[in-house]
Amino acid sequence: MQKALEGMFDGIRPKFEGKDAPLGWAWPLFEGAETFFLTPDHKTHTGAHVRDRMDMKRLMIFVLYALAPCILFGAYNVGQQGFIAEGVADFSAVDALVRGLWHMIPLIICSYTAGGLAELVFCIVRKHEINEGFLVTAMLYPLTLPPTIPLWMAAAGIIFGVVIGKEVFGGVGMNILNPALTARAFVFFTYPAAISGAKVWDVGGRWWPMGSEATVVDGYTGATPLLAVTGMERGADPAAGLAELGWGYSELAFGMIPGSMGEVSAVAALLGAIFLLVTGIASWQTMVGCVLGLLGMGAVLNGVAGPESLALFHLPPHYHLVMGGFAFGAVFMATDPVSSPTLNASRFVYGIGIGALCVLVRVVNPAYPEGMMLAVLFMNVFAPLIDYVVVQRSTRRRAARLAAA
Amino acid sequence: MYPRLAKREGDVVQRGTVLFHDKKHPSIVVRSPVAGVLKEIRRGARRVITDVVVERSGDGEETFTSYTADQLGSMSAEDAVAAAMATGLFPAFRTRPLDRIPDPTEMPQSIFIAATESGPLQPGADVLLTADDQANLQAAVTLLKCVAPVHLTMGAGTNHPALQVTGATTHRFSGPHPSGDAGLQVNLVDPPRGQNRVWVIKAWDAALMGRALLEGRFPNERVYAAVGAGCAQPRFVKTLVGAPLKAIAGEAKVPSRWIRGSVLTGTAVDEGRWASFGTRAVHLLPSEVPRYILGWAMPSLGAWSFHRSFLRGFGGAPEGGVDLRPGTFGGERAIVPIGAYQKVVATPDILPDFLFKSILAGDLEEAITLGLLDITMEEAALCTYICPSKVEFDVILKKGLELYEQEA
Repeated sequence: MQKALEGMFDGIRPKFEGKDAPLGWAWPLFEGAETFFLTPDHKTHTGAHVRDRMDMKRLMIFVLYALAPCILFGAYNVGQQGFIAEGVADFSAVDALVRGLWHMIPLIICSYTAGGLAELVFCIVRKHEINEGFLVTAMLYPLTLPPTIPLWMAAAGIIFGVVIGKEVFGGVGMNILNPALTARAFVFFTYPAAISGAKVWDVGGRWWPMGSEATVVDGYTGATPLLAVTGMERGADPAAGLAELGWGYSELAFGMIPGSMGEVSAVAALLGAIFLLVTGIASWQTMVGCVLGLLGMGAVLNGVAGPESLALFHLPPHYHLVMGGFAFGAVFMATDPVSSPTLNASRFVYGIGIGALCVLVRVVNPAYPEGMMLAVLFMNVFAPLIDYVVVQRSTRRRAARLAAA
Repeated sequence: MYPRLAKREGDVVQRGTVLFHDKKHPSIVVRSPVAGVLKEIRRGARRVITDVVVERSGDGEETFTSYTADQLGSMSAEDAVAAAMATGLFPAFRTRPLDRIPDPTEMPQSIFIAATESGPLQPGADVLLTADDQANLQAAVTLLKCVAPVHLTMGAGTNHPALQVTGATTHRFSGPHPSGDAGLQVNLVDPPRGQNRVWVIKAWDAALMGRALLEGRFPNERVYAAVGAGCAQPRFVKTLVGAPLKAIAGEAKVPSRWIRGSVLTGTAVDEGRWASFGTRAVHLLPSEVPRYILGWAMPSLGAWSFHRSFLRGFGGAPEGGVDLRPGTFGGERAIVPIGAYQKVVATPDILPDFLFKSILAGDLEEAITLGLLDITMEEAALCTYICPSKVEFDVILKKGLELYEQEA
């Protein structure tokens, strides 16, 4: 097997390698394919003679492994919400999963294809190797979309994310903003009707191979829990209101709710978080910071809320943890090592900023019932500033230590 | 150092004869380990002298001044440095910062004698020092104390008889590499202030210097370690300094890269060359780089890694050692900071990501503020070793230090 692969790549290598090769322009494609199947046999020439087996491909694929619970549960929930919208109660888990995948897979394929082409064009023009970070971006992005979004909109978003969010800065490692969220923000502001409101979160009434003709039942609103709370009257008790709608805390935490495809389940995100933390890929400082910031700001807003305040002001802080895209964003978006600050101390501050901003956007501005995307992008911009302050502190401490020695 | 030859090809030399000296400071000399004929002077790029080959014949010897212990303890700093230089072993000293052979006219802030070694497969005090070396090391400490305060560093648990010396402040170090690196120990104990320099020397080299001072003759025996998976018979060899590499390590079992020193900071050399003055290990690193199918996705249970995305990253070296190869095992990428570099940099208050980026940006002032002169080459090499983006931080650090020396 290995010999055959090596033989095959060595056989066609002359067509791609070198200046005068007939397909020299497609070198990134060849290199990407070869190193996908086989680890490169590059030898060290300068620097330390030996290197760790860890590489960027492994780093990125491990994020995809961590996403597996979110993907699987998300697919199940897309199907489930479709049945709920149609008033169907006796559906099997397999039905729900198949139905969810039927709607989810085209979006994922679309994201990989459209984004991959944009990435490839850039790699060929800029003559750099294909960045595997794209594998993560193109998976994260569809998970933040509603299942009903038209494919062309999803494609436009990921192309914008890859090009403007990443490649114009020079590729993975140079970007300022999280590319997946840049893509989502593009869709959010360009096609708001397709990604916000109450009508986009379930696939009720849409055709799928194993389904029969069905329509959404009368009176089904399709609103997400956050939207539902936004709609409650001033001074109401949101937790009780949610329970009336059938959403107790465990339903919210497990993600039996309408929402973006991969974001609904805080439990699935938590499983991903455990995997990322055990394997040492994501920063616990960021995640802990996010949770603390969120709880803290939630408590503050609870404190200032009066009987005339919007219902969201009264939402208990721990409800914020499991509603909307917070858990998914804190685990997978905020921890992007490139767009977050570099230092552990700054990551803590950065996380707190994200958590606090997320709640502020949700609660104080009823036009945006969800704030995680904006909070992460906003703090991405501030990441270098936070690092700067921490670096200054460190250099001052260093100078003081050397002076005292 | 920039060597100026004292002998020409064809000259007869004796054990202890000065072969060459430093251009700028002619008192820094290098002596011949054996008597014989200077057979060949090899030069590399830009005619830099790389090897001075002496063919052994006879056993003539040139001696120099010897001292008693009392004499060693009552010298002026200048005389003490002069006596150290006369042994031909002064080039075993390095300065912190910059890792250069010291300028003998500038007295150091302090002198570190390190009896520690934590580099991969590098021999340490237990092999390189014998109980007899106690007197030798004591002589060196007594002499160097006339120059500057002397610090002696050793492993936390060691009770080596050679290290029972007086006159030096003792420090104990333990932990994974780079804990045994003298540069790091300087940073932790007595970091150089302002333009000051700290001199560092390995304890076994200091013991040789002490012996040369007591006996007035050039000590030409060394213990070398032949190590690495390419080595047919890993062993310690007591031989002459500068012995042929093949006489130390034998023939390679498999095609190998021959490295003088460690796989982190050693130099790859042709197998027909000779052991170096400073390093005590010859590492034969098998040069074939295996390829792995879908290596990025496989569990790779047996693979050795620093990172926890491999099972071995949680700790526990495999039985029978680690099969290291001179491969990158990945494509070069931009730095993606996952917080790993901090874990291998032990010098306090160094932010490796920012330091290396400031060097890459050519911002020398910023780099110095961030610790360009503090971070050690071993630490930078460890960053290179663990980097998932396959960035060569030791090469970047060398560039930064070169830039510093040009501007200074």
